Amino acid sequence: MPQRKAPRATSRARTAVREERPLDRTRAPVLGAPVPLALPELSRFTLSCGVQVALVERHDLPLVAAEVLVPGGASAVPAPSAGLASLTADMLDEGAGGRSAVELARLLEGLGATLDSAAGYDDGHLTLLALRPRFAEALTLLVDLLRRPDFDEGELDRVRRERMDLALQLVDEPRAVANDALSRLLYGPDHPWGPPLLGTRATLARLGSAEVAEHHRQRYHAGNVTILVAGDVTEGELRDLLEACLARWERRATPPCTVPAAPQPDCPRLCLVDRAGAAQSEIRVGCVAAARSSPDYFPIVVLNTVLGGAFTSRLNTRLREEKGLTYGARSGFHARCAPGPFVARAAVHTPVTDQAVGVFLEELERLIEEPVPDEELERAKHYAALRLPQRFETVGDLVARLAELSLYHLPDDYWAGYVRRLMAVDAARVREAARRYLDPRRMTVVVVGDRAAVERPLRGLGMALEVMPGAAP
Amino acid sequence: MRAAPRAGPDSTLHVPWEWHTLGNGLRVVLSPDPTAAVVGVNLWYGVGSRNERSGRTGFAHLFEHMMFQGSANVPKNRHFELVERAGGSLNATTWFDRTNYFETLPSHHLELALWLESDRMGWLVPALTEETLSNQRDVVKNEKRQRYDNQPYGDWDERLQAMVFPSDHPYHHTVIGSMADLDAATLDDVVDFFGTYYVPSNAVLTIAGDAPPERALEAAARWFGEIPAGSPIPPLPGHPDPGPRIGGTVRDRVRARVPLPRVLIAFRVPTFLDPRFHAVEVAGAVLGAGRASRLYRTLVRERRVAKDVASFVYPLITGSSMMVIWATGYPGADPAALEAALVEQVEGLASATEAEVARAVALTDTRFVRMLEQVSERADLLSMFTFLFDDPDRLNREMELIRAVTGEDVRAVAERWLGPDNRAVLAYEPAP
Repeated sequence: MPQRKAPRATSRARTAVREERPLDRTRAPVLGAPVPLALPELSRFTLSCGVQVALVERHDLPLVAAEVLVPGGASAVPAPSAGLASLTADMLDEGAGGRSAVELARLLEGLGATLDSAAGYDDGHLTLLALRPRFAEALTLLVDLLRRPDFDEGELDRVRRERMDLALQLVDEPRAVANDALSRLLYGPDHPWGPPLLGTRATLARLGSAEVAEHHRQRYHAGNVTILVAGDVTEGELRDLLEACLARWERRATPPCTVPAAPQPDCPRLCLVDRAGAAQSEIRVGCVAAARSSPDYFPIVVLNTVLGGAFTSRLNTRLREEKGLTYGARSGFHARCAPGPFVARAAVHTPVTDQAVGVFLEELERLIEEPVPDEELERAKHYAALRLPQRFETVGDLVARLAELSLYHLPDDYWAGYVRRLMAVDAARVREAARRYLDPRRMTVVVVGDRAAVERPLRGLGMALEVMPGAAP
Repeated sequence: MRAAPRAGPDSTLHVPWEWHTLGNGLRVVLSPDPTAAVVGVNLWYGVGSRNERSGRTGFAHLFEHMMFQGSANVPKNRHFELVERAGGSLNATTWFDRTNYFETLPSHHLELALWLESDRMGWLVPALTEETLSNQRDVVKNEKRQRYDNQPYGDWDERLQAMVFPSDHPYHHTVIGSMADLDAATLDDVVDFFGTYYVPSNAVLTIAGDAPPERALEAAARWFGEIPAGSPIPPLPGHPDPGPRIGGTVRDRVRARVPLPRVLIAFRVPTFLDPRFHAVEVAGAVLGAGRASRLYRTLVRERRVAKDVASFVYPLITGSSMMVIWATGYPGADPAALEAALVEQVEGLASATEAEVARAVALTDTRFVRMLEQVSERADLLSMFTFLFDDPDRLNREMELIRAVTGEDVRAVAERWLGPDNRAVLAYEPAP
């Protein structure tokens, strides 16, 4: 250890102690008034090519984050081509604008910039983070990736092979096996959300550079994208930068993206995926629930916080803090452009698998049968509402919030009204949402675990049990 | 007193800080930033898995769990409930050399965090019960099952640490420890550990964000000032200096339930406290950070012998630290060929170019600035630099030190520490 330097100003601290009244440690301290949430100011402008830009300026650190949001994603791709949206996004940096993939990486990384491209269920996106002095140069490279990717057949071969082997690798990741099995069961093999975002080995094998180029042509153009920026750049600077590289970018008609309705099961399902000798069982309990635009959105946020959205939620309290069956249990509603899944999950010690599944189902039933007590409801609402400032902390957070507004057509004052709308949710609305979305009779349960150890106990739960030998890669 | 963090003309950083020490030895660091109505509270205790005695591996981490099970004035579960009701987030992590506890809260809830943290620093023992110990032991065992036992390649760190550090070195065992040792832990162990290590003189408290320093210091002194100082920390068990190199190439070959072959190579390298550490970090980035890195460019893209690659350096402080690189092969790949490909790149580092080093420095630089965006990270870094270097301002000089790394420094890293006299090679092959 280096030698200790004399710390400063020790005396002030002691003076402060003497001035204070005696402490009451027996109760939580009385709090000052909350500081009202100051939301950052948002400006919008439209480029001459028609692309809309949203900007939040913030100049405290020399960082700029930018996202090109490309609505569509896996929702825009039929199930037999599963993986196309994700593959296309991944291929953007494999050579573009006359530069090879290695040259692009060298230039970007030489700027210390990080540029990622990926696709989710509802969108593809390119995200850039750079220090201010290097932002302009990095943005120019981003635009090359966006507008002029090569989609070289040789590079595509390699990326596709990596992805097919990743699919193979995931067969040994119990969490991925459980998630994928649940999606497949909830949406069915013909729905765009049935297969994983990555695709399967079978669908990937069918995708070539023609398919990738066509997906890019349909989605990545001035008529479909929005640009979101936050950080240490002014509106004038940003406008000039973007006009310089996007001035004559072509607008095309975007094919409509309609996600088919998911099948609704009429009885509960229990599916066991064998993983011989597993130390734990991965449990998923889920159903097709609500879209991002649902009027139930705020009741759902509160409902989920009570059930499994926080550490002190019911699932974690019972399964972890009371019984010690798991390292953690959580739940979430994945709200998308159409009804997305509700998923509750935990990894539990193999011998208690059936007991844990029973607790999941009991907790769903309890939310339907009994109103949430006031104290618990208030805690959940405060937790969800008061965390809002933390969701605006980094420039990356800001861009993500802007993207959420844009992708789901939320108004600019959405975040300003967020806390009020959340706090207005009452126990009756929560129970109504529970009845609508958490009915145990419509739930699908997936267990990835040691069949020899868990099958017989699971049969004791009285649900029809389907055994799958192991996920097909 | 400077105001919020801000950048200088060349993007150097000036994070404001004040450092005080209470009468009981608790170091208090304050870093105001009124940008958002959020405050980060971080308590860094100088205890981790390196302090565990034989037969009690995993104990520092199990103990960390017990810190959330209530204290004299805070019943079990109330700690989490109060912070969540306040709209805060909280957690703790245990590492080789330290355990940190942290909360991020709306700023008017600062005193809530100070009350909770001071209650468990001063008055944990009255709340300890066999029941909570047994419950948290089960939780931790499930954490081990989930993160290590039920994951492909899940035991890699256990195997590598055992090869890189001798059996009497505090890093020979992992933070998660062994199931048998977790089973052996008793309530008396918890009480002893608490009395020995969880004392004000072995901790740094940092308050970063929307809290005026004068008021934050007054509050910290009020809540923590009366906690007794405690005795000096006992010496580490075992022999903390393993020597600079492993002394050969040691190997471990595992047939396991993994889908693809993977080869990992670990090296003993200078510690985080050593001025040469930045060069090691940059050398690691030249090898494996980003798509223009040597490993990715060559193994994944040009030769297509690997599906993915990785490289990282642990910032450890006891005698030596550890650098790790790995490559995952395609189905049927020969681990010996993967190893040879990795070694070739490692040896090639001895002729790393200035451009490669500049790229790695730029990436390391941006990563560091990004960490400063969140009050919780800023608070953690200030605690760390204060605890380890007696110097919170090191945070503001860190970028300079990274930028000062030269090609010559990186080449020296390759020559001194990445040779065949200092390698631990771990190969995974899919079981038939």
